Amino acid sequence: MSIIDLTSMGEPQKDIKNQINNRLKKLQDEVSEFCYQCAKCTSGCEAHKLLELEPHKIVALLKRGLIDEMLNSDVIWTCMSCFKCRERCPQKVAPVEILFALKNIAVASGKPIPGKYSAMLQSILSNGLIQDVQTISDRNNQAIKRDKLNLPDLSKPVDTNKFQLVLSKLAIEKI
Amino acid sequence: MKKYVFYPGCVMPTEQYAYELSIREIMPILDIELIDVKDFSCCGEPMKSVNQLMTIYLSARNISIAEKEGYDIFVPCPMCHLSLSECQNILENNHEINKKINEMLSSENLCYNKPINIVNTVDLIHDIVGLDKIKKLVKNPLNKLKAATHYGCHLIRPSEIGRPVDSENPQKMENIIKAIGAEPHDYSEKLDCCGAMINTNLPESALTKTGQKLVAVQNYGFDVFVDVCPWCHRMFDSKQKKAGETVAAKLDMPVVYLTQLLGLSFGIDRNKLGLNLNLSPVDKIKFGGK
Ligand code: SF4
Ligand code: SF4
Repeated sequence: MSIIDLTSMGEPQKDIKNQINNRLKKLQDEVSEFCYQCAKCTSGCEAHKLLELEPHKIVALLKRGLIDEMLNSDVIWTCMSCFKCRERCPQKVAPVEILFALKNIAVASGKPIPGKYSAMLQSILSNGLIQDVQTISDRNNQAIKRDKLNLPDLSKPVDTNKFQLVLSKLAIEKI
Repeated sequence: MKKYVFYPGCVMPTEQYAYELSIREIMPILDIELIDVKDFSCCGEPMKSVNQLMTIYLSARNISIAEKEGYDIFVPCPMCHLSLSECQNILENNHEINKKINEMLSSENLCYNKPINIVNTVDLIHDIVGLDKIKKLVKNPLNKLKAATHYGCHLIRPSEIGRPVDSENPQKMENIIKAIGAEPHDYSEKLDCCGAMINTNLPESALTKTGQKLVAVQNYGFDVFVDVCPWCHRMFDSKQKKAGETVAAKLDMPVVYLTQLLGLSFGIDRNKLGLNLNLSPVDKIKFGGK
């Protein structure tokens, strides 16, 4: 199974498109409605301090239905998932969750997945974890691996076939 | 002896060995028995940007595996802790998703039945073990050691799903640090993010976040920076040198896991606590004043 199978969405998969539309509509109706654009979310946003993310504008764009613009913009991938906006919004809007949804939709509609997400996903598929055991260096530049440290075996899925089968199903029912 | 199923996650057992070593060293001293279980997987949180249902599924399968053992679960990584907690919240409140997830779980012969207690390092030590017990175990009080804490965003927010510490003024790590004789101080940047989540796609920006926080901590004159998250520690300790280069600053800040600091105060050998694995200058940490 490849990443493409898991993340891209072929044209004929109408169901998924409907699901995406439903999810967006739900976000638009139920979530963005409550936002009164106070920008408290942006005032504490960790990504705003450094990059160009303005969570209150994300909510405003969603309200106006400018979804494609957001799906095509790298800005949705600058959120650091600090959850400050969700914690502090007086209207319980949670821009961070809108951003997660937008990223999911971007991936589901076949847009490229940035950075190391694909590698992490591939690793989860093959051994259940985002990465395999790493060789690290200590302060004296000695190479150290888990098995030299007298630690128990790594806990990971025992029946990998069953595990992979479920995850591949998830790809189809992703929303 | 209180027992917990030990859920290691991904980052700690594959790379951040110092956290696992120090946990396994101090827990028996605190009368906590950790039960190792096979078959766990990633908690799913790192995939939340890609496929949220996968996140929920992966968390649910880990909870189900722990549930079979009949004990509560100890989750030292704040990101895993949030993922499992939020998943449990969703499964308890959303019948539709619960049904769907349980259908999928059944093909791995698993089942989510009921919520279990999910504890992290900080509440386990602060609330369950308790500060009185910690105080009695101290052999080398870390007197006058000025400590800055970093909880990690996922441990403190969002409070609506229940987090082990206060979302705007967390003090449990401070209380623990006081109990072993050191001096924690609050600072303006205490709640700032380490940037780890965008290290995946924007490493330069992530390192800038890390560097900016460490520069502030260093300028305040702290002796040690204490964390409890393998993702944060990877940024502040393992990548400290790179973070310094990114923000054009000379960083020289000892960064340790809370469990390592406790171990030091209990008189445990440094290497047993994995202190040889910290890449920041931890040899600078002095005992009993300067
Ligand atoms: S804090 Fe909430 S209400 Fe205010 S702008 Fe942000 S999302 Fe809207
Ligand atoms: S979760 Fe993302 S959008 Fe929200 S405040 Fe943090 S960085 Fe900004």
